[in-house]
Amino acid sequence: MEAVDLGQLLSAQQDRRIRVIENLLRGKKTVSTLYWGQRYRLLPLLNLDKHLQRGGLDDAIQELQHRGWATVDGDQATVRLTAAGEQQLAQRAYYRPVTTDQWVNLDLVAARQRLLLAVQVTSQFAHSTARYYPLATDQETRRAVRQWFHRRKSPTLAPQLGAALTHSLQQLPGQTAGVVTDQFTGFGQPGLTSEQVAAAHQWTVWEVHLMQIDGVVQIAQDARQADHPLHDLLGPLWQVPISRSAQATLTAIEAGGDLARVATIRKIKLSTVREHLLEAAIMLPLRDFPYERVLPPQVRQDFAAVLAGSVDDWQYTNLPEELQTRYDFFYFRLFAIWQIKEATA
Amino acid sequence: MEPLTTSLKRVFGFEHFRSGQEQALTSLENGHDTLAILPTGAGKTLIYQLYGYRHPGCVLIVSPLLSLMNDQVNRMRMSGFKRAAAITSQTPFGERLSILNHLNQYQFLFLSPEMLAQPQMLARLQQIRLSLLVVDEAHCIVQWGPDFRPEYLLLGAIREKLHHPLTLMLTATAGQQTRAEIAKQLRSQPQVVTESVNRPNIYLDVENVADEATKQSRLQDLVAHLRRPGVVYFSSKQQATDTALWLRDTTGVTAAAYHAGLDAEDRFKIQQQFMAGQLDVICATSAFGMGIDKDDVRFVIHYHLPADLESYAQEIGRAGRDGHPSVAILLYAPGDEQLPLALGQANRPEVDTIQRYYAHPQNFAADDPQIQLLAFYRSHGISEDAVVRLFASREQERNHALAQMLAYVRTETCLRATWLQAFDETSPAHTARCCAPGNVALDLAALGLTRQAAAPTPEAVPWQERLARLF
Repeated sequence: MEAVDLGQLLSAQQDRRIRVIENLLRGKKTVSTLYWGQRYRLLPLLNLDKHLQRGGLDDAIQELQHRGWATVDGDQATVRLTAAGEQQLAQRAYYRPVTTDQWVNLDLVAARQRLLLAVQVTSQFAHSTARYYPLATDQETRRAVRQWFHRRKSPTLAPQLGAALTHSLQQLPGQTAGVVTDQFTGFGQPGLTSEQVAAAHQWTVWEVHLMQIDGVVQIAQDARQADHPLHDLLGPLWQVPISRSAQATLTAIEAGGDLARVATIRKIKLSTVREHLLEAAIMLPLRDFPYERVLPPQVRQDFAAVLAGSVDDWQYTNLPEELQTRYDFFYFRLFAIWQIKEATA
Repeated sequence: MEPLTTSLKRVFGFEHFRSGQEQALTSLENGHDTLAILPTGAGKTLIYQLYGYRHPGCVLIVSPLLSLMNDQVNRMRMSGFKRAAAITSQTPFGERLSILNHLNQYQFLFLSPEMLAQPQMLARLQQIRLSLLVVDEAHCIVQWGPDFRPEYLLLGAIREKLHHPLTLMLTATAGQQTRAEIAKQLRSQPQVVTESVNRPNIYLDVENVADEATKQSRLQDLVAHLRRPGVVYFSSKQQATDTALWLRDTTGVTAAAYHAGLDAEDRFKIQQQFMAGQLDVICATSAFGMGIDKDDVRFVIHYHLPADLESYAQEIGRAGRDGHPSVAILLYAPGDEQLPLALGQANRPEVDTIQRYYAHPQNFAADDPQIQLLAFYRSHGISEDAVVRLFASREQERNHALAQMLAYVRTETCLRATWLQAFDETSPAHTARCCAPGNVALDLAALGLTRQAAAPTPEAVPWQERLARLF
């Protein structure tokens, strides 16, 4: 990620913890990372760069500082854009992805792998080539694509897939459609690497990456239609954006258990139950979380009576002593999440 | 059993073996461990493919390059051998488990030395029928063993635990000393099948340049004028990447970098682009090459000094596999030997460190590669004195190898003679089409290796059309 890419993830109005951005990209889903990811409106970054090393954004931060585009608060490990930085970044036409609201709901890495291999296999099949180098992918991708191909193999597959992909790409910006096409490998076309596409258009590699994700998500979305040629290949990759264990906790709560009882039934700690609930509250839409049960109106009223202003400035330790005794941090945090969701709903 | 040539015809559709293949197969068929020293492009893989086809059981291939192992499996599948798999440290856990649970169904199994050294893996392998053990790139026992891949040094003991399976050792280059070392490490007395390493159609050239800046501009000049495609080798990933960009910007060639740091998708695409003739130049590290089938590479340039003549021979062997005139150019600036020296020493612990480690192993950080190396030896019961001796003798060998490389650079008469001598071969008489040592200027025109008119660049086609072409 280059300085200009990281700059897009920062704000001149809000200090942002660099470790939160790093953890989001690496897919480290702690409640704290998710909460702040939500505050920064950066949750779609989850899992986008699993190979990023710890400290992997340091060079980009230094570059931003060097250019005078950002300031770093060493104690807090936060970064904020300067006015100059904000202005400079706004001047450059940076790619704005169009499908971000769906990113956490799809296994992006697997979907991309399956799509690329399916295109290659279909393309080679259409040209009657039996011997070619398949893209090097993991076993699960190979298995899924092999099964899909055996079910779908027919003289009409290639034209159907071609038409379906064309339809999907037409809904995206023209440059994105071009990038998605360029990455495909198939008959007589090795495909371009992200770096090659970026160099050809003077984009950053990260921008190309964002365009590719837009392509994958658009295609996967269209493939939700039962008659789409990739329906059964990409369909299983749509996911609820919370862990299985958190889903089980949520189900138990919805079935009527209180937190302590759910902890006993599920043989997990009360603190784990709370973490699961916070994860679910952050990741799921307002309507999909049982706020009525977990955060009853009385609790909300008690917090609302003392909390005002920007959510970012709220501090649990600044609450009146009496409220801190009555409600521990979990309810305070859940109330903040509920407020944010209400405000953006 | 049917004759070898009948199998060859049946499986691959070829009438004749390439030189060395049949000898190696015959030796294996007669039950002899075999060390096959065959030049790049001689078709070493076919030897164990055909053996695996003719004999029941599993062919186990130990291969040093993790990043290329999956490529090798794909290559096997493409040749029609579908029951092939690879296990490396990068193989996801679930996939590893699934392969292990169906081990007896595989005809070809590729393993990294690290994986093979694991006791549970060995235990599983002891339960299946091994038709053949293949040690691929066997020179790595000597080149990499003590510094990078200590596990290669366990191969002898592993062979014993596997009850001495018939073993095929493969390499493109090995002088007498390397051959002896391979045999010793593997505890085997193999029959040696060898072809000359000489490649008469590759013109050899050494160029002395004054400094780094001159070297860069000479590289630029060569790349602009040489007939393409070609490969430029570097010892550093970063420099390979930077130079590919720089050459693209300054000379207009289509260039890309290739090294083990790229992910599998990018490696695949760069490799395929190069094979399809879409790239003029690859700026590579030594990760590039093993397993690249491209016949018409016209030049190989070494920007950095290789650590030994064996690596050098391997790498220039990518040129001219179609038999047409090609050139191997080594650019040398005074002091270039410092880089291979430093790289060689990077992993070598000082005597003092070895002593302190053996005294108090718990005081050392386990993530330091030097310490990992020492921990490896210690856990395999190798004494402190033996480790000190091992590193000392390894350093001597390395210094000797580098001295040989430098002798090549400083040769004033015939480069080919110096090169072949290192492999205990005699060179044919020197001619004008043989080589240009450092004191002789390179005349590309006389060799017919200057570039022809540029190929037309493809027009910009709308994506709809490009997409339609795929289907």
